[in-house]
Amino acid sequence: MAAAHADYTFRHDHLLGIEGLHPLDIKHVLDLSDTYADATRAGRRPDPILTGKTVVNLFFENSTRTLSSFEIAARRLGADVISMPVAQSSVKKGETLIDTAMTLNAMKPDALVIRHSASGGAKLLSRKVDCAVINAGDGTHEHPTQALLDLLTIRRTKGRIEGLKVVICGDIAHSRVARSTTMALHLMGARVHLCGPRTLIPPGTDTWGAESAGTDFDRALPGADVVMMLRLQLERMNGSLLPSQREYFRYFGLTADRLALAKDNAIVMHPGPMNRGVEIESSIADGERSVITQQVEMGVAVREAVLHLLAGGRA
Amino acid sequence: MSLQILNARLLDPATGSDAIGGVFIDKGVIKEFRTGTGVSFKDAKETIDAGGLCLAPGLIDLRAKTGEPGEEHKETLATASRAALSGGITSLVVMPDTRPVIDDVALVQFIAERGRETAFARVYPAGGLTVGLAGEAMSEIGLMAEAGAVLFTNGDWPVASAQVMKRVMTYAASRGAIVMSRPDDHTLAGSGVMNAGEFAARHGLSGIPIEAEWLGAARDVVLAEQTGCTLILDQVTSQRTLDIVDVARGRGAKVFTTVAAHSLFFNELDVGDYLTYCKVNPPFRSEKARKTLIRALQEGAIDAVVSAHDPQPPEEKRLPFGEASFGAAGLETVLPCLLTLVAEGELSLLEALAPVTIGPASILGLPQGRIAKGAPADLILFDAGKPWLCDRDHLLSRSKNSPFDGRRLQGRVLRTFVGGKTVFER
Repeated sequence: MAAAHADYTFRHDHLLGIEGLHPLDIKHVLDLSDTYADATRAGRRPDPILTGKTVVNLFFENSTRTLSSFEIAARRLGADVISMPVAQSSVKKGETLIDTAMTLNAMKPDALVIRHSASGGAKLLSRKVDCAVINAGDGTHEHPTQALLDLLTIRRTKGRIEGLKVVICGDIAHSRVARSTTMALHLMGARVHLCGPRTLIPPGTDTWGAESAGTDFDRALPGADVVMMLRLQLERMNGSLLPSQREYFRYFGLTADRLALAKDNAIVMHPGPMNRGVEIESSIADGERSVITQQVEMGVAVREAVLHLLAGGRA
Repeated sequence: MSLQILNARLLDPATGSDAIGGVFIDKGVIKEFRTGTGVSFKDAKETIDAGGLCLAPGLIDLRAKTGEPGEEHKETLATASRAALSGGITSLVVMPDTRPVIDDVALVQFIAERGRETAFARVYPAGGLTVGLAGEAMSEIGLMAEAGAVLFTNGDWPVASAQVMKRVMTYAASRGAIVMSRPDDHTLAGSGVMNAGEFAARHGLSGIPIEAEWLGAARDVVLAEQTGCTLILDQVTSQRTLDIVDVARGRGAKVFTTVAAHSLFFNELDVGDYLTYCKVNPPFRSEKARKTLIRALQEGAIDAVVSAHDPQPPEEKRLPFGEASFGAAGLETVLPCLLTLVAEGELSLLEALAPVTIGPASILGLPQGRIAKGAPADLILFDAGKPWLCDRDHLLSRSKNSPFDGRRLQGRVLRTFVGGKTVFER
């Protein structure tokens, strides 16, 4: 499939994070993702540009949706796909991330998709292997393909990203999605406002590109084009970061009344998996302004585009 | 065997003297020294012409970890000594957090003996403050002191219980023993892996808040004041901690402070892309904090600069940042780090040398660390301005985990003497 700009090349060997990408890179990935999304919707199979290529999914953390999304994306492009459920395998026997990486590297894959519970895990891997590394989430650091699929979903729904007001609400401190998506939205000209309990808002969110980070969801919502809710890890209650689910929902849960504060055509997003009744009311999650399932759909398209760019061009 | 070193720039932080002169050494001690050009001594069997290079007391390091006994793959006393001497350190206090922990008389004797037998540097054992460093039962502080332990510490695991700490310090005070403690409220520092702040947040790494150091320091200095125990506050990283110490000193507490050399050189941004060699505890703090530590050194508010040498093999460091071990190899870079700060105009030579010579010597009551008649002839000859590139593969430490790897430094030791004998020459 032809890229949108003939004079542009995607110059990255890996996709480790949004940090380090240029707005043109993001635009390019989104444009290519669009063509993949359109093809799927039209019932066309894309060109099998990854035929003969091997993609290894190395998931050190359990994941259903991201892992299957990468698997489907790679298979649609004709790649041979191996998914290593490392959470249960040799790592338990004391093998380190680097040992596992070196072992796999010796088998000459074309791309390694990695999810790891440690921030910087993908970066570490990329220093030790010869193939493309795609970060599918590293600790509380980055989750770039999630950010890209969020942007694609927004762009397809709203027709643009620049100038939109996006409110992201929830556990900002522990969210790799918040980091990546905020940075990506900022790069593309959106205005991002973060919101959550004070204990879950880290310092320095302005360096990610956020315009504000506050604790009053109701005050953040007016004028919002996009409301993105983050998953609340229920363990946070034990760590004395939050009093209770009930209180959290009272101040930060997305209800119909709250959504009414945003623009009339505001869309609702969630990276999943959702805690219904904790961060989002079921009727909103399933309502007509929710684009949550579309996010999942766009996830495959974005991953096709990323695999295309990183594994497709290599001899 | 007598020796004279002539035509040297004699630097003695104890007296503040900095002048060309010569030293006469006999039977391992400094017999005589004189400043002025053309100085020489009768009866010297051997003469070294220093050619104007700096001659200073050998460094005294209050905090080095080795792996002996139990983890010799990390470092032995012999390899640590070799590394130390090449970095100008002639006396080092070794930490008790080994396997087993140095928490009884026999083990203190073992370290002292192994030091004498296998190391050319002077090795001083530090005793474990509590049995097994578990922070529960007091160890035999009096007996270990008799056996040669120069101070008592719980090392990297500061005693968590204030009650235990108070009792141990009360007892230590009655035996005249020195307690060294890293100020750290672990219930707050928790599972942090680097300095808490914007950089940690952006990189998704859990932070060690500076408040944990302040709270720990406040507890320890209050107990020092109440018990009369001499306390070394180990590896301070911020001005506010020094302020806390100042208040306690004003009330009569006997408190000394140390700073790790690497904390004078690096800040939190050096962690960069998850560089595990820069994972240390206490962590590298902000640039502002680093600057205030240097100012404190200028003002003489810091009693000792330590190597905080903590050798870690690749398997402990080639891990994701959060999972890697804390610790940096430091014996070979203390002096170059300080001399680089001198070259950059941040410190004078004497300001840089005082906290690694007379400073620690005074805390422990050691006769070395000065150029004085009758002092042990532990001396270093160095080129204060010599530029060099720190390459971990050329370090003598058995473990190569130096954050200085790849850094350009200025100032290098050319010859090290212990008891008048040349024990290292570059």
